[in-house]
Amino acid sequence: MVKTILVVDDELDIRESVKMILEKNGYKVLTAENGDECLNIIQQKKPDLILLDIMMPGTPVIKVVKKISDIKIAFMSVVRISEARKQGLTEQENIVDFFQKPFNVTDLIDRIELLISD
Amino acid sequence: MDGKKFNLKNLLLSKLSRKITILFLIVGIIVPSFVFYYFYIIINNAAPETLASETEMFLINSVIVIVLILTINAGVIGFLFSRSILKSLKKLYKATKEIEKGNFDVHLEIFTRDEIQELADAFNQTVSTLAKIQEEGKEIDNAKTDFLSITSHELRNPMTPMKAQLQMLEENYFGKLSDKQKKSVMIITRNADRLDKLIADFLDISRIEAARLKFNFRKTDIAQVIKEMVQFMDGYAREKNIKLELNIEKIPVIEADPDRVSQVLGNLINNAIKFSNERCKIEISAKLKNNQILFSVKDYGCGLTPDDQIRIFEPFYQVEGTNHRRHDGTGLGLAICRGIVESQKGKIWVESKPEAGCKFYFTLPLYPVREIEPIKVLFSQKSVIEKKICEEFQTFLGPLGMGEFKELKGKNSITKDDLFRYIDFLIKNYILPQEQGLNFKNRIGKIFCDEKEVINEKLDTFCRFKADEVLIRD
Repeated sequence: MVKTILVVDDELDIRESVKMILEKNGYKVLTAENGDECLNIIQQKKPDLILLDIMMPGTPVIKVVKKISDIKIAFMSVVRISEARKQGLTEQENIVDFFQKPFNVTDLIDRIELLISD
Repeated sequence: MDGKKFNLKNLLLSKLSRKITILFLIVGIIVPSFVFYYFYIIINNAAPETLASETEMFLINSVIVIVLILTINAGVIGFLFSRSILKSLKKLYKATKEIEKGNFDVHLEIFTRDEIQELADAFNQTVSTLAKIQEEGKEIDNAKTDFLSITSHELRNPMTPMKAQLQMLEENYFGKLSDKQKKSVMIITRNADRLDKLIADFLDISRIEAARLKFNFRKTDIAQVIKEMVQFMDGYAREKNIKLELNIEKIPVIEADPDRVSQVLGNLINNAIKFSNERCKIEISAKLKNNQILFSVKDYGCGLTPDDQIRIFEPFYQVEGTNHRRHDGTGLGLAICRGIVESQKGKIWVESKPEAGCKFYFTLPLYPVREIEPIKVLFSQKSVIEKKICEEFQTFLGPLGMGEFKELKGKNSITKDDLFRYIDFLIKNYILPQEQGLNFKNRIGKIFCDEKEVINEKLDTFCRFKADEVLIRD
């Protein structure tokens, strides 16, 4: 079955690039511009993984994350993991990985495959 | 209690108070004495032998008593008068001392309605101006650090899709590339990587400057950390046929951040490899010294001039005669090393002679720091060192120090060796007592992170007197 990934990032070019990479590797990709849009989308369709940026306009990500408990989330941010940890962003159980931007394409694909393989 | 006692003693013995009181006493004794003496002469001339000897004695006694009373009065008035001036002066002195400590939160309240009040008003104004300048300085400093941090983050954002697209091209996501296209993409990727490294380094610097650099202190076997790092770097060294020699003395297991130690050590070894010729060796050592672990990395490369040795830790500093561009680096590595080492209250320095290679040292305290302090990485190391040297000159040579320092600086001879030679000259010509000269040398040595102490037997204040004595005999 084709897996669905939701890419949440306020930067269009990043959304587009990640979408291109994932689609090329056989995933179905949804995109959202911010946390609020992300919450709207997952009410209609539940993805297998959310790739979530940390610094975005609108509702702070820490609040968005608290509203999601049954979908795997991987952060993708320029912020370092140590700082994200300090902000208490990595405490939830459904947070499964952290991609440091700028990311490596091969690494991204390998890790995502591992994250959502059955 | 103590403060009050001290004040009273000071007030009674203060030089100004003594001077004014004595002046009033003298005036008080001389003026009435003269007045009475002239009266006596006039009366004696006008009507000689009119007074009986008993009356005369009585008069003389009265005169003595009157003169004494007047003198004491004058003395008391003088003392009170001097006290009123001193009170204001003391306030001014205390306020000045506060400013010296860097506390600009002082305000003088003197309402004498005279020149002293005017002085106090001018003083208050100066203080508020200084406080404003200091405040602005702090704001600018914070703004700089914030700016650095924000821009670095903002710069990393566009890097993300750029690098992603480039990698997609390289991985043939959009079809196979021709050789020329491949080469073009490779060049763009290489430079994008370099730009990204630069941004990451800037982020590190902004963290160091804002004391936001994270240290993860835990029980660490430093010897193991060094061995792993050396093993890792060995691969790069082999490409140039360079041998890495390791010499670790017994080191205790301490609380430290192994990643930061590796980062600094790795950077130094990487530099050593970069600047060594082929088939050389690089010596890495670590030992326990003065409650610190002393690391060193010695290479046999081109070496550094004395000026380079000071400035090499400045960001983007280029050593003359070498081609940094040939060695791909950001020019920020050593500046970051300094930031990491100094954030943990360690020291980093280099000893070198041109054409003889250089030896980098850094120290790590046995106990981790409780609070990370901000370190000014972007500051010119040279000007910081010059400032410190100038201060020592003023301490040891008094007001002359400034002029002497400026003259040496004008001749561009303020490296450690030049300064030591200068101090030797002072000692040889009896301008500076020997023991003080040695002290001077030690202080200068410390500024250059010299670990060797020139023999120094006694404390400074004690030997000054003794040494002067010797000087006079000579």
